[in-house]
Amino acid sequence: MKEPNVLDSTAADKWEVQLRKGCLELAILAALWDGPRYGLEILRRLEIDSALIVSEGTVYPLLSRLKALGMVSSEWVESDGGHPRKYYALTSDGKRKALEMATIWVRFSSSMSKLLAPLGKGD
Amino acid sequence: MTITANAQQQQKIDAYLDRLRRRLRGFDPSAVTEIVKELRSHILDKAAQSVNVTGYTNREPMPAAIDAALAALGSPEELADQYVTDNLLARAEFSRSPLWVLRSLFRWGSLSAVGFFVLLGSLVGYFFGVVFMLVAVAKLFHPQTAGWWKIPSGNGDFELSFRLGFGSVPAGGREILGWWIIPIGWLCGGALVMLTTYVAVWFVRQYRQTLMLPRR
Repeated sequence: MKEPNVLDSTAADKWEVQLRKGCLELAILAALWDGPRYGLEILRRLEIDSALIVSEGTVYPLLSRLKALGMVSSEWVESDGGHPRKYYALTSDGKRKALEMATIWVRFSSSMSKLLAPLGKGD
Repeated sequence: MTITANAQQQQKIDAYLDRLRRRLRGFDPSAVTEIVKELRSHILDKAAQSVNVTGYTNREPMPAAIDAALAALGSPEELADQYVTDNLLARAEFSRSPLWVLRSLFRWGSLSAVGFFVLLGSLVGYFFGVVFMLVAVAKLFHPQTAGWWKIPSGNGDFELSFRLGFGSVPAGGREILGWWIIPIGWLCGGALVMLTTYVAVWFVRQYRQTLMLPRR
């Protein structure tokens, strides 16, 4: 019989998925911090710098929402690929929001790290 | 590297984007054009990237690269659902106006089963909220007949009825709240409308979360 207190692999996966979802908005704002990027560049940045690998279809509606909320602006730029690309950039509201979220994240993760430190040492 | 799709690949991309466009009906047409243009650009970029990785030098992307780019985006229906729900959430952030929320819910409800049931529940909530408020207003104009009535229905049973005051006093009926229906109607009606809006947006947010599918 399964022990009720054990976090099995499925439950752990679900928990990790929820965790990733929760920080996706901050991750996208952070990916735009050092300059404008288009959708695929943002996805690559998330993959490389944060291991936050999301389904590609997820990012575009989210960018559209961030734009509707005034967090990002967008501009079409002709590319050497022969087709235009939509570049996103942080607005001043988006920068403020990113900083706020980053502050909360750092405070939270630092306090969690203290709490979790004994777990790293094992039993 | 300039990349183009041949006629067959172009047809595949068009078919995908047409399915998406159909699911986005009711959206602002310029927004749909923008979405489709951006996704087309993404598909070509993604395919070009695969071509570069595999060392394929022809200007036309391999059919497999286009297929992979489309598959990575997910189904057009699910993608459209994400646009619709994100649009609704963005509007809800700006304004909790029940009219805005209801309008967006009608759009969502016409696209998905979950949206339909959330719309149905919201309509019930808004209906009773509005009825409460209407009765409160009607009481001012029909003080004798408008209000919340307890009306005998035979066999010792009775029914509770909101009446706007049109017609005569129901036989054997008794009004329950009297003039209190005015403040209570406004308070309860307003609270019900606000609660319905809050719950509807909560459902949309939960549903949106299930659509955000991280790849492993």
